[in-house]
Amino acid sequence: MTAYITLNTASELSCLVISILCLYRDKDPVWRSFILFMLLTCLVELSGIYLRNRHLPNFMLYNVFLVIECAVLNYFFYHLFKANHNLKKLLTGWLILFIIFYFIELYVKHFNAYVSVSSTIVSVELILASVYYYYLLLKEEKFRQLWKDAPFWWVNGTICFYFAGIACNIFFKYLLQDKTPQASSANYIVFSVLNVILYSCWSYSFICRYFQRTSPSS
Amino acid sequence: MQIFSKDLTFLIGVASVIFLIAPVSLIAFVMLYNSRKKRHEQEKEWLKTNFENELLKSQMEVHEQTMQNVASTLHDNIGQLLSLLVVTLSTIKSDQPLRVPEKVDSATELAKRSIKELRQLSRLMYGQELIRMGLAEAIAFELDYLKTAGLHTIRFHNNYRSKEGQTDKEIILFRIFQEVLNNAVRHAEATTIDVTIDQNEQYLELTIKDNGKGFNEKDLLKEKKGMGLFNIRKRVALIAGEVDIITAPENGTEIKIVIPYP
Repeated sequence: MTAYITLNTASELSCLVISILCLYRDKDPVWRSFILFMLLTCLVELSGIYLRNRHLPNFMLYNVFLVIECAVLNYFFYHLFKANHNLKKLLTGWLILFIIFYFIELYVKHFNAYVSVSSTIVSVELILASVYYYYLLLKEEKFRQLWKDAPFWWVNGTICFYFAGIACNIFFKYLLQDKTPQASSANYIVFSVLNVILYSCWSYSFICRYFQRTSPSS
Repeated sequence: MQIFSKDLTFLIGVASVIFLIAPVSLIAFVMLYNSRKKRHEQEKEWLKTNFENELLKSQMEVHEQTMQNVASTLHDNIGQLLSLLVVTLSTIKSDQPLRVPEKVDSATELAKRSIKELRQLSRLMYGQELIRMGLAEAIAFELDYLKTAGLHTIRFHNNYRSKEGQTDKEIILFRIFQEVLNNAVRHAEATTIDVTIDQNEQYLELTIKDNGKGFNEKDLLKEKKGMGLFNIRKRVALIAGEVDIITAPENGTEIKIVIPYP
């Protein structure tokens, strides 16, 4: 049982609990969908640990989850940019392109490995979307109370996770070759820290969203 | 290339830290910029309030100036005419029938002049509303009023065309004009006053030139007598304009005000 309680699962589970508490009554279905997404993330993480403990490969689980992750996060960015631009065609085009590339990589790797290149591409794309969000924020004439701004904290978590995560993705090939505990623990520690940053930011974002919804001025 | 486990661990650690510093710096920059935006918004709000206060002050001063003009017209012109009328009427005596028509004619003439003055006074009271019809109208009226005293040679040239949304600026500019005109008449004792409005697509230039005593601006400010000048400069700056004062003792004064008038 203790194998299931890690820094990753703890941060993911607490984010799930916060999302349920804060977003359950949210009027926006896009924000509400994060409850499901977090639930799915926790299930994937726990299943991953379960498979690993049984000495079974769990990469396919993460491969499938990558597609869901890409779709959900991109749709949320689309939702954020909707007020400024209609990026429906760009989103659809990008998702199609990603799926094509994803299956090509799967095919090339004989459906027998983690799609690290696709994962890196998604990371880069999400970083670009985050940077574009900041650009729009800077361009805005009106001042925003960023400390209480839910989308801002959501994007902060996303950009930190995917930007720093790229470093590990770059070395993924070497990590596969290097089976020593040092190498895998470095990767594990980095992703644990990044997960804590990501889910802390997201949790805070959900709390901001809750207060935004319940405050009398909203 | 062979990478050892130790190196790999180190590389992953360093790369991750560097890759984490970049987004954190970006977030810090966005937050800093946003806080500057807040300061900018506060400054804008302060400027707006300041402008509104100054506008209100100008409106009140225009009103006050009109009232002063009304009071002086009532005292110096209409009051004198009516006193004279009373004296003339009181000298009519029934035992001198031959002089009655002459005195009645004189009294009638005085009454007519009083009525004329009263009409002018009513126009003067309406004068503060003239600014709504345009800056040139208001300036022309103010100069006309000054002309009636017959003490000054006044010339006014303008190519003014009213533009929408500039009323606030015009009220402030009109008040500045009144202040300058007052200085020319009361302090500089000028006998000739030239006023010009030169307008193009983007700017409006108001020039007021007199042949009065002139002054030394630095000395005036040193002696703290230059509050009027200080106010002129402050108000011109408030409407994003520029003021140029050319003067020297005994050499008259030329004040040129240029404001954006898009």
